[in-house]
Amino acid sequence: MIWIEVLSRHRELATRVRVTASEARIGRGYDNDVIVDDPYVAPNHLRIFRDDAGQLIAEDLGSVNGIFLDGSDKRSARVVVDGEHPIRIGQTLLRVRSADHAVAPERIAPPEARLVPGVLVAALGITVLGLYALTVWLAQTAEVRASDYLTPLLWIIVAVILWAGLWALLSRVFSGRSHFMRNLLIALGGTLALAAYNEIARVLAFSFTAPSATAYQYAAAWTIVAVICFLHLRQIGHTRLWLKGVIVATVLATAIAAQTLQRSEAFSIVGRQGTVHVLLPPSFRAVPVREEAAFFRAVGDLKDKIDADRKDAKPAEAGGR
Amino acid sequence: MLRLAGGALLRATEFLVAIVVCGFAAAWAGPAQSATAEGIYASAPPRLLQIRTLVADAGRQTSIGSGFLVSSDGLAITNYHVVSQVALEPKTYRLEYIGADGSRGEVSLLDVDVPNDLAVVRLDKKDAPFFQFDRAAMDGAMPKGERLYSMGDPLDLGFTIVEGTYNGLVDHSYTDRVHFSGALNPGMSGGPTVTAEGRVVGINVATRNGGQLVSFLVPARFADALLTRVRNRGPAPDLRAEIGRQLAASQAELYKSFLDQGFRSVALGPYRTPESTVSWLNCWARTNADATPKPRASINTTTCTSDAGLFVASDLNIGNVQISHSFVKTIDLNQFQLATLLTQLSQGRVVGGGQYRKWYTPEHCHEDFVATAAASDRPPLRATWCARAYREFDGLYDVALVAVTQDDGSEALVSRLNLQAIGYDDAMALGKRFLEALQVTR
Repeated sequence: MIWIEVLSRHRELATRVRVTASEARIGRGYDNDVIVDDPYVAPNHLRIFRDDAGQLIAEDLGSVNGIFLDGSDKRSARVVVDGEHPIRIGQTLLRVRSADHAVAPERIAPPEARLVPGVLVAALGITVLGLYALTVWLAQTAEVRASDYLTPLLWIIVAVILWAGLWALLSRVFSGRSHFMRNLLIALGGTLALAAYNEIARVLAFSFTAPSATAYQYAAAWTIVAVICFLHLRQIGHTRLWLKGVIVATVLATAIAAQTLQRSEAFSIVGRQGTVHVLLPPSFRAVPVREEAAFFRAVGDLKDKIDADRKDAKPAEAGGR
Repeated sequence: MLRLAGGALLRATEFLVAIVVCGFAAAWAGPAQSATAEGIYASAPPRLLQIRTLVADAGRQTSIGSGFLVSSDGLAITNYHVVSQVALEPKTYRLEYIGADGSRGEVSLLDVDVPNDLAVVRLDKKDAPFFQFDRAAMDGAMPKGERLYSMGDPLDLGFTIVEGTYNGLVDHSYTDRVHFSGALNPGMSGGPTVTAEGRVVGINVATRNGGQLVSFLVPARFADALLTRVRNRGPAPDLRAEIGRQLAASQAELYKSFLDQGFRSVALGPYRTPESTVSWLNCWARTNADATPKPRASINTTTCTSDAGLFVASDLNIGNVQISHSFVKTIDLNQFQLATLLTQLSQGRVVGGGQYRKWYTPEHCHEDFVATAAASDRPPLRATWCARAYREFDGLYDVALVAVTQDDGSEALVSRLNLQAIGYDDAMALGKRFLEALQVTR
C-alpha cells in the first residue's frame, strides 16, 4: 500500500491518495492512479514502485519537465523516495509514504483551561474599567455627569474588543485558531499597563519632581504597545519568534523616533516645553522641600539655557533680514 | 488702548466713524468756539502733515498717521508707532509726507523715543512756519477743563480739527499721558493738540476701546526733550540698536521702581499675599461664588495689572506686569479633585506680547518644591518659573512665576507673577521677594 500526498507550496498537505496496487502512476491524464492538474506535468509523468531492495522508487516515464528532489535543481530519472523529502514534478510537490511509515508518539493533551482565561479576563476587565473610572473621578472638578464616565469607558471597551478581535481574526487566518480570549487577555493587560504607567508618571512628576516621567510618556506608551503586539504575534504561532521580535522592535524604534522628531519640531514652532505640570495632594510629596536659595540657583542656571537659545536663534534671524 | 495709526483696518470702520464725527460737530460746535477753531485751523496748513509709511518696492502706503513741524529747518514730531515699520525695517519701508497745504515730499527718520511713543523726522522744507510748545502745559500748570483743539488726518478723510478738553494726567499709568476728552480717530496719531493760542500741549497717541471721547496725548515736554536730544546729538546711527537700548533702560527703571517700593501684605483667606505699592497698577477682584452650576470649590482672585505695555511694533507690545492671587477652597471636592483644579489654575506660562517665532526664544521652565523659611507661617510651595528671552533685545526676558501653597489639602493659594521685558537679575530679585512674602496665618 502506498500513500501519495500532494503538498501545497507551503508544504502543507493538500490531498492524500491511497494506492493499493504495487505500482502507482501519476500524471495529468485520466489513466493515472493520482491525477495532478498541473499544466507543467506530463499526461503520464512518473510511476512509483518498490524495487528489489524494498525501497520506493519514483521513475520518470519520459516527461519533458522531469523529476526533482525538493530543494534541488538536478533532474533525475529515478529517485528514491524516503517519505520525508518531497519530490517536485512541474510545479507540484509530492510526498510518498508507505503504510509502515513511522509517526511521532502521541502527545499528552494539556489540561482543560477554558475557565481560567474567562475568570482572568473578567478580573482584568473590571480592574481596567475601575482604574479608568477612578481616574475620571479624581479629575472631576465640575458638575458630575454620568456621561463623563460612560463615554470614555464605552470607548475603552469597544477599542479593546476591536483590537482583540482583529488579532483573533489574524490568528484564525494564519494558525487556524482564533484564541479570542487569550488575545483579549493580552489587550486588557496592555490597557492596564498604559493606565498604570500614566498614573505612575503623574506621581513621579509631582512627588519626586521628575518631569521627564511625563515628558517621555509617549515612549513608554509605544513600548507597551510594542510588547502587546509581540505577545499577539506569539499567540498566532511560536515559530520564528526572533524575527517577530526584530520586526516589532524596528517598528517601535521608528515610531518613537518619528514622534520625538515631531515633538522637537513642535517645540521649535510653539516654543513651549512638552513637560506637563501636575499637582497632587500635598501629602504626596516624597522629596524634601528645597531651600529658596537652591531653587533660585536652578532658576539662575536656566538663564544660560535661554541665552544659548538666543545665540542660536540670532544668526538665522540676521540671515532672514 | 487703541493706537491711532491708520492701517488696513480702516475701511471696515469708515462708515460708522463718519457718522460719529458729523453728529459730534452738529451737537457741540458753539459759535464762539468754532470761530477760535477756524482761526487755529486757518494758520495750520503749512505746519500740519500727514505721514505715510510706504512699502518701498510698491511705492504705496501701508499705514498713515499725522505729524507737525516744530522748527523752521524742517524738523517734525510724530508718534513712534506711526514710523515703527521704518525704524525696524528701513529696507522694506520708507516715509513720505503730505502737508495740509498740499505739499509733499520725502521724510527721513532721525530719532525715536519708544517709551513715550515719539519720533523726530526731517522734511525737505526750509523756512516753513512751525508749531511751538505751550509753556504752561510743559510746567504742568494747565487747569482741567481748558479747551483744546486736536488736528490730524483721521482715516485719510482729509485734515480735520477737533475740539475737546484737557483733563490732566491719567491715573494708574506708568507712562505720563494727558487725558483729552475729544474724538481722536485712527490716522490722527502724531498730530498736535493745541490751546486756543495755537501752542502745542500734547501729541495725539491713543483712544480707549469702549470709551466715549476718551483720548490720550503724549505731554509736550517729552517731545521738547527729544528735540533737544536730536539737536545736540544728531540722528541716532542705528535705530534698531537704539530701540533695544531705550527699552532696556526704560524697563530697568520701571522694575527698579517696583523693587524699591516693595510689597505690602494683604490678607486673602488664611493667607497673606504680597501686593505691589506702585501707583500704576490697576487692581480688581473676581469670584466664582455666583457661578452656575454651583461651583465645587470657591475661587476668589485679586489681579493687579499694569497698563505699561509699550508699543514696539504693530505685532509686539511689551512690558506688562501682572500679579494675581487666587484663594481656592474646596466645597465638595476631595483632595485629588482639588489638586486637579489647582493644576489647571497654576499652569506656568509666559504671557505673550507678540508672535513667538518672530520675537522670542523658546520658553524654559523649572519646577520644584520650595520653602522660603522653616517658620510655621511660611507654607511650603510648589513653584514654577518659566522664562524666555527676546531675540532682538539684549538683556530682556519674559518671566512667569507661579506658586501653589502645599500646606493644606483642602485649600490653597495660587499666586502668579508675570513680568514682561525684565532683566533676569531683576526678575530673580522680584521673584524672591514675591515668594518670601507668601504667608499663612493658620
